Amino acid sequence: MPPARRELSIRGTSVHMLSDGAGAPLLFLHGAGGGGRWLEFQERLAKTFTVLSPSHPGHGGSPAAEWIEHISDLAFHYMDLLDDQRLPRVHLVGASFGGWIAAELATMASHRIASLVLIDPVGIKVDGWIYPFLFGMDIPEVVATVFHNPMAALALAPPDQSVETLALQYRQGTALARVAWNPYLYDPLLRRRLARIAAPTLLCWGAHDRLAPLSPCGETWAKEIQGARLRVFAESGHVPHLEEPEAVAQAVLEFCRSEGAS
Amino acid sequence: MKFYYFHLMPYVMEHDEPSSWVTLSNRFYDPKQGQILYNQYLDQLEYAEALGWDGLCVNEHHQNCYGTMPSPNVMAAMLVRRTSRAKIAILGNGLPLRENPLRIAEEIAMLDVASGGRVISGFVRGISAEYFSTGVNPTHSRERFYEAAELILKAWTEPGPFPFDGKYYRYHYVNPWPRPIQTPHPPVWCPSQGSSETVEWAAKRRFPYLMVFTPIKRIAQIYGEYREACQRHGYTASRYQLTVNVPIVVAENDAKAAEIAKKNTMWVFNTGLRMHPPFWRPPGYMTEASLRRILQNPPPLPSDLTFEQADREGYIVYGSPATVRDKLKVFSDDLKAGIVCSGMNGGSHEATLEMMQLFAEEVMPHFREDAEIDETAGVGR
Repeated sequence: MPPARRELSIRGTSVHMLSDGAGAPLLFLHGAGGGGRWLEFQERLAKTFTVLSPSHPGHGGSPAAEWIEHISDLAFHYMDLLDDQRLPRVHLVGASFGGWIAAELATMASHRIASLVLIDPVGIKVDGWIYPFLFGMDIPEVVATVFHNPMAALALAPPDQSVETLALQYRQGTALARVAWNPYLYDPLLRRRLARIAAPTLLCWGAHDRLAPLSPCGETWAKEIQGARLRVFAESGHVPHLEEPEAVAQAVLEFCRSEGAS
Repeated sequence: MKFYYFHLMPYVMEHDEPSSWVTLSNRFYDPKQGQILYNQYLDQLEYAEALGWDGLCVNEHHQNCYGTMPSPNVMAAMLVRRTSRAKIAILGNGLPLRENPLRIAEEIAMLDVASGGRVISGFVRGISAEYFSTGVNPTHSRERFYEAAELILKAWTEPGPFPFDGKYYRYHYVNPWPRPIQTPHPPVWCPSQGSSETVEWAAKRRFPYLMVFTPIKRIAQIYGEYREACQRHGYTASRYQLTVNVPIVVAENDAKAAEIAKKNTMWVFNTGLRMHPPFWRPPGYMTEASLRRILQNPPPLPSDLTFEQADREGYIVYGSPATVRDKLKVFSDDLKAGIVCSGMNGGSHEATLEMMQLFAEEVMPHFREDAEIDETAGVGR
């Protein structure tokens, strides 16, 4: 059964959200290019949780929001979404760019997070690492940087090269660039604030991530978030939830259960 | 019609790299060769004044072999002291690329004062690739451009000190010394590619609009939109508000000119503007509406432009003096452009000087019915 499609207005900002499943609420924050997609990963999570999968403003089916100019704007936006949906506490899962938003949110409001899962997040400055500049790459270069298994990229492939599709891609790139062009893919203030995260945290990392490699990026996150557990996915690059959806979904389920889901 | 000599100051070279911009390694740049080129190029600009050109144009581009003038104001400064009559048009400074755009107000005022009021100040956003070279967020480009322009114009026209509290630029004391010598300020030009937002902005302020390397059909369309916008703002555009930058090749006969154009002029498009595709389209540099317009009718990439297409669509003007005169009549009589900016490349310094002389003697005099008119009177401010 396809997920329910809903149009929300969060403090006046239009949001397109996919949702499905039953059980404790789980908010999934997608990465760049993942907006508006309901893929195997979410499908599997929806067997245990009520999965809420909104598109960030300017991504997927959500129109661009001019007021979003900083990553913290997105974190506040999702706190507003939790309020709007009357969800005091959720499991929060974020991948890549979505992981960055989730981490920002967690530094502000850990009490609203039953458990936090970050999948190859970006968002912090890591000593000895400069994130490869995806904005300067063509599609084959991006795929080679992001995916260990390039076949997994097909799930995100555009349906066609129509004006609508190209305009959507441009809108998504613009929404990302507004908050992530410079400093590129990080917030200089976030790393120090990670120590504030009190929610139980699982870090999922692709062993072959070339955008934010396990060493030093994953290791730095594991060090900065107290008590964080780190799971490495041997056959994945930057997007294990797309490259090994079954294994990552399983890890998320186990973690959320073990943390005595609210 | 007025003639301005436009220089890109290219570092002409052949290479197999995917991009002549941003990533073309500067190990290809030989400073010894650069010294020769800079001095030849400045000689050409000075010679243009001696031959009767009305203006000399410099411009800003970064990290490429297409144009080695990251600071046009530096080149303008050299010209100020070596010329005495011609306008010096800086086309232009990339406003959003500066962290402190008050420096542009200061530098242009310095040039204007030192030159006795010969400066024309182009305001540009910088082309797409510039945002990869400078790190400036392309999604801020348009807002920064408008805000920096407002700041610079205010700095030139309102007595300082005053505070300026913008979104991107903030000062407690705006009070630049010197002030420009032209009143209320040096003419401002908008070199652009024809986005409707910029057309509107320039028309409202009487800032001349410069179409760079654009097919004639599109120039006609944008000129139409610009004239219409001027009417909407309650005035009729002067012909000196409608300017164009088109490369010119003139030789003793058409065949010889075609040969030179194929080799030297097409280098600018095919190699000089060869760009890794992502550098053409940084996110947010243009509005989604502009993007849709382009996608519906995509222009050819300059690197794919053939000589035949460039010829057919009027990207270039070449031929014998008689042919070039005829082709320029399209600009003067049909498009009613007031100023033609053009660079020439004969293949060597000497050949370029000869070509310039041929143009000045055989072409220019046929378009001089407005010789006594000051093209900067009442426009650009």
